[in-house]
Amino acid sequence: MSKYILQMNHISKTFPGVKALDNVKLEIEPGEVHALIGENGAGKSTLIKILAGIYDADPGAEFYFEGREADIKKPIDATLKGISIIYQDLSLFPNLSVAENIFIGRDSNSNSLKKVNWKHIEEIAESALKELDVQIDLNLPVEKLSIAQQQLIEIARALAFEAKLIVMDEPTSSLSAGEVEKLYKVINNLKQKGISIIFVSHKLKELFTVSDRFTVLRDGKYVGTYESKELNEDKLINLMVGRQVLYEKNKGGIQIGQTVFEVKCLSKEGNFKDISFELKQGEVIGITGLMGSGRTELAQAIFGINTPVTGEIKINGESVTIKSSEDAVKKGIAYIPESRKTQGLILEQSIINNISLPVLKTLRNAFGLISRKKEVDLANHYIKTLDVRPALPNLKTGKMSGGNQQKVVIGKWLSTKPKLLIIDEPTNGIDIGAKTEIHKLLRKLASEGMGVIVISSELPEVLAVSDRIIVMRHGRIAGELAIEEATQENIMNYALLGSKVSKENKNQGKGKVIVESGVSM
Amino acid sequence: MKSILKSKEMSIALIIVMLSIVLSFISPVFFTFENITDILKGNAVLGILAIGMTLVIITGGIDVSVAAVTTAVIVILGKILVFLPDSPISIVLMFIIAPLIGVILGALNGMLVSKIQIPAIVVTLGTMSMINGIILYITNGQYLNSTSFPKIFVKFANFEIFGISILIILFALISIGAWYLLKYTVIGREVLAIGGNKESSIRAGINFDKVQIFVYGFMGLLAGVAAIAQLSYTKAVDPNGLLGFEMQVIAAVVLGGANIMGGRGTIIGTFLGVLLLGIMQNGLILAHIDVFWQKVVVGAIILLAVTFDQIQYKRSKDKLAKIEVEA
Repeated sequence: MSKYILQMNHISKTFPGVKALDNVKLEIEPGEVHALIGENGAGKSTLIKILAGIYDADPGAEFYFEGREADIKKPIDATLKGISIIYQDLSLFPNLSVAENIFIGRDSNSNSLKKVNWKHIEEIAESALKELDVQIDLNLPVEKLSIAQQQLIEIARALAFEAKLIVMDEPTSSLSAGEVEKLYKVINNLKQKGISIIFVSHKLKELFTVSDRFTVLRDGKYVGTYESKELNEDKLINLMVGRQVLYEKNKGGIQIGQTVFEVKCLSKEGNFKDISFELKQGEVIGITGLMGSGRTELAQAIFGINTPVTGEIKINGESVTIKSSEDAVKKGIAYIPESRKTQGLILEQSIINNISLPVLKTLRNAFGLISRKKEVDLANHYIKTLDVRPALPNLKTGKMSGGNQQKVVIGKWLSTKPKLLIIDEPTNGIDIGAKTEIHKLLRKLASEGMGVIVISSELPEVLAVSDRIIVMRHGRIAGELAIEEATQENIMNYALLGSKVSKENKNQGKGKVIVESGVSM
Repeated sequence: MKSILKSKEMSIALIIVMLSIVLSFISPVFFTFENITDILKGNAVLGILAIGMTLVIITGGIDVSVAAVTTAVIVILGKILVFLPDSPISIVLMFIIAPLIGVILGALNGMLVSKIQIPAIVVTLGTMSMINGIILYITNGQYLNSTSFPKIFVKFANFEIFGISILIILFALISIGAWYLLKYTVIGREVLAIGGNKESSIRAGINFDKVQIFVYGFMGLLAGVAAIAQLSYTKAVDPNGLLGFEMQVIAAVVLGGANIMGGRGTIIGTFLGVLLLGIMQNGLILAHIDVFWQKVVVGAIILLAVTFDQIQYKRSKDKLAKIEVEA
């Protein structure tokens, strides 16, 4: 009997044209928290999907769970064997009750007309929630719960299936700082019970807080497994990317011109309050803050999709009212939302059709029909200036990499010749090389006279791209920092505590959660 | 208790009560036993089909071929009944044959939707058109009355218990059965689950194809029963009698609070939706309003109900999205 609860060896997975995993290994001890880490595209999710029974590994794989060959063909096989996966997007049924969500899946092999025993369902759900020491109304439909509560329901579900191994994929990505702390407590509690946890995250600090060991993947290959003690953040990043990466902080000291954009005492009930700032020609403002600090809501209000607001908005010194996104576009504001794939692009259409979309009216010929030539010229212009690759104007945008998709979105909005560009999480899900390119592009746009506001939760990004940083907390501006004085630490302190210096900061030991250096909030 | 009062079913029930009060002022006939049972009897076919449609809509699907399937079963029953003896066996046979044909046609829809993964609206539009064509070919569009049917059939059609028609009893039994199915059987819960989140249901080991074939098969089964009810109600085979009826069926389900995107819908809601449609039509007749206006009124009420629903949904979402702003 081996000392590992899970042993995966020689795992490869080939998709048409791509080798997603190449001879990867993962070994998990009972009762440990094991971090699985790697850049986007390193193969983490493919490995998890093989573990979960969604994908089959290529022949030659060795896959043992509790010392026996794991015969997992469908997701439910894994669950029934004691492997529970908590996906980032969660696997709950919004329309069903808490109790049923915890129970669901147990009856899937039984007779379809079998009578459902509601009492039994409630008992199981209740005892699972008790084990987690949380109280949630069993009869409430899950859609009424917060994300943090929904996550607890998933964990309760794993417990109800007597999970011995729980995989958590980016579990903290939608949680507030307080909720993250609670999750850590729950994880510790699970560890005490001897349950192993595979923790997938991009937040390095967080991983050091919770994990005992690390397995690092890079480009589908196994890099190594390490004790938490032997690593620090720099080493880990080196292992992940094979080179030193963190982008350089912006130096600042640029020539600034007149105020191009200004908001005064902007407020929206239940969203944000008394927001005032100015944007000068040539500079980039970074707006950051935790989830739920109101940063995105503010951006959407300026763009007219989160109305009504009180207060004043001025463009080039002139007071404007913006009631809809149409107004905003007319006044020269462009807003690039966070979710590129659902809100920014039509994935099924070509680069040309995406870029020309907001300016179709201006591309008409003498008969009032859209001139294909003008469209192609426009697209080619932005493909060239933004260095979009591959430079194929007829390519469907769905087939491009994240970084190039983002360039197409930027091109699409540049075609409207905006005076102010607001961009929300500009490099979400983009690999590091392409991130730097997007940052350079944003700085270049600012230097050419466009007002640029970057909203981001990734601190190194905020530091790399901004000249001034506004930190939001609970719907208010907690602090404003010039780039020269800004550090990840003081931004974090504003974001978490609303002040520059934290009380805990001075005597803070290693492994606290307060300062998330390296990656995002 | 509070949640019951705030539920959708309650608001529909409230509208029904208010409408009934108004109608009883307009016409003294409205609140009589005969009129109420007439409404129920007249809408039994609609109700039976709407119950089946509720399950389909909960899974996020739709079946626009119901009226065609029902008519096909009616036509086949008409052909067979002529040869059946005048004995209770004939009724039993009818109750075996009609649901069986319905299930076969329904399961065919289900197979196409689940196995080949064609969107339900396309599949059922296709089968509807095919079935309608075949019906016209077989019947030449001709009306056939029940004079050549065995006498026992007419006796069955007129059968009453304590003055309540067999059609109402059929509708009631099916409603109760479907309610039990949705609430207390594994397959019923799976219907709700795949409507709530398809991805999650596959992760939870639910056999997606099986559930889909089941709901369309069940829809077909009820179309078979509805065919018996329609034949009993009209005592005639009318190949064009149910033309466009699928729209009313879907309307009743939507009025009853089911979400056309899937995940939400109840039998009680649908029952009330059917009742509301029935009372409205009855009321318009009692108030001597031209029948053509009925469609306009029904359409308007559906839009109102859905708008109201959407506004409430948005409100509750806004509530969840709220950020605590520091004072």
